[in-house]
Amino acid sequence: MMHFFAVEHLSAGYARKEVLRDISFQTQQGSLVGVLGANGSGKTTLLKAICQLVAHSGSCLLEGEEIGTFSARNLARKCAYIPQRSGIEIDISLLDVVCMGFNSSLGILQQPTKEMKARAMQALQQVGLAERADENYRLLSEGQKQLCIVARTLVTDAKLFLLDEPESALDIQHRSRLMALFRDTVKERNACVLAALHDPNLALHWCDKLLLIQDGTILEQLYPKKDSLKKMEQAFAKLYGDVSLLSCKDAYGNEHLVLFHITEEGICSR
Amino acid sequence: MKRSMALPTKKQFDYIVCMITGAILVVLVICSLLVGKYPLSIAGLVADEGIQRKVFWTLRFSRTMMAVWGGCCLGITGFAFQTIFRNPLASPDIIGVSSGASAGAAAGILFFGGSLAVTMSSFFGAFCAVAAALLLARMDMSRKNGSIVLAGIAVHALAQTVLMALKLTADPEKELASIEYWIMGGLNQITLYDMKIPAVLCLLSMVVLFLFHRQVILLSADSAEAKMLGVDVGKMQMLILLISTLAVACTISLTGLISFIGLLAPHIARLLTKNNRKITMLLSGLMGAVILSLADILARSVASTELPISIFTSLIGAPFLIYLIGKRRDV
Repeated sequence: MMHFFAVEHLSAGYARKEVLRDISFQTQQGSLVGVLGANGSGKTTLLKAICQLVAHSGSCLLEGEEIGTFSARNLARKCAYIPQRSGIEIDISLLDVVCMGFNSSLGILQQPTKEMKARAMQALQQVGLAERADENYRLLSEGQKQLCIVARTLVTDAKLFLLDEPESALDIQHRSRLMALFRDTVKERNACVLAALHDPNLALHWCDKLLLIQDGTILEQLYPKKDSLKKMEQAFAKLYGDVSLLSCKDAYGNEHLVLFHITEEGICSR
Repeated sequence: MKRSMALPTKKQFDYIVCMITGAILVVLVICSLLVGKYPLSIAGLVADEGIQRKVFWTLRFSRTMMAVWGGCCLGITGFAFQTIFRNPLASPDIIGVSSGASAGAAAGILFFGGSLAVTMSSFFGAFCAVAAALLLARMDMSRKNGSIVLAGIAVHALAQTVLMALKLTADPEKELASIEYWIMGGLNQITLYDMKIPAVLCLLSMVVLFLFHRQVILLSADSAEAKMLGVDVGKMQMLILLISTLAVACTISLTGLISFIGLLAPHIARLLTKNNRKITMLLSGLMGAVILSLADILARSVASTELPISIFTSLIGAPFLIYLIGKRRDV
């Protein structure tokens, strides 16, 4: 059976240091996959290896095609990547930053069309920045910059979204808004999101599948909507130490999974 | 009925700034055509006075045009260099263009003589320096943006050594003075005949840079981000670098070294427009032309003898560089 996106025996690293070792997993269309792990466990390297940004062995297949064989333009058309922090440091409007997302559909000398600009405005609307479209990107807060880069990703026709800690600079309200936005996007487009996340509670709530990474290998693959609490708690305990996973209901009766980290001083939420 | 005055929009403001700069440039061009050791007047030129017309066509017109397109070229290439290297202090100097041109010019003065030979030789020196920098940068397996800067520093050091060795062998009375004078920069010996080919190449390079503006801006993101936006980073960076170098080499091979314009003009343009759109690129060119024209007018009018242009561009540029360093600390 051909999987929508499959990573097979992927190993990667920098210079002579191997960071990822023999990673294999598959994902389905319309799914949101979270990658969890401690700092330095290899989450970013995994995303960069899939994007062909670091040297690696093994294969990454998107709809049966090896991503490594894609040209730069084709790679940008099929895979959208959000880095931890964007490298843009010049004075440029938010609208122009979002329009960069159309580059793979434009000729080298072509300019974004009116329709493209309207789509860019729509994407800014989706992340709540439409009214600031003409403002200077460099002067935004880190969280707002992150949202603008998310809007740039949304204007692409990508099938695979690779997000490197997209929630790190966002407040609780925007974190949920961002995850809801990507959940809706993957469902609409039959695409797939692979997101390196720091917050296991956010991952448990929004992701269909979780990859727990430790020391460059996959420790466990979890399905929060299917797996038992006990199984997931045991898996998280291997990653984070003494933890407790509870199921609770919010004021509207919706069920949520909450992971607590148990320390000597008491219990604190992850 | 009272009509309220609407403030111009951001875009309109940018166009107004461009038009004002263009108007200042026109005034400077007129001054440049008329000011000098032999003052000219419009009435005299119209009245068909032989000497006035001769001075106008053989001396003033060529140096004024050189100041306009040379400044424009240095401003636009400065904008491209600062953007693609993601470094506000970047200029053609950092990849060794200027030092290569100096070494080339010194070789031209020593071994060939004659203005055309010096021009060709400095042009060749600039291109050799860039080729060496690009070759060295490609040897760095990390292929980071900084590689070309490090390679530029190495090439600059090498070119300076060559220049020093050439100066040591030069006749102190004549050749050494010529080398030093070339390095100080000036527009006084440029003729329309010398300008023809460099001006066409320079104009073509600037048109291509304008057409590639969107790619230049995409390269302002870091290389991984630009690649994921569909840019073939290595090839595109190389192409823009070669086009910019061609334009700069064409200019400084005629004028000698002119400091600070490539650094200064794009910063002034960005301070005024607060963006990096095409209009800012155009304004960088206009600013470059204004600064070089002004420096040239001052160079030939403040003292009884003509002074090197770089004295005036450095007088404006050095305090501005200090201001920039201070501003970066604030940020």
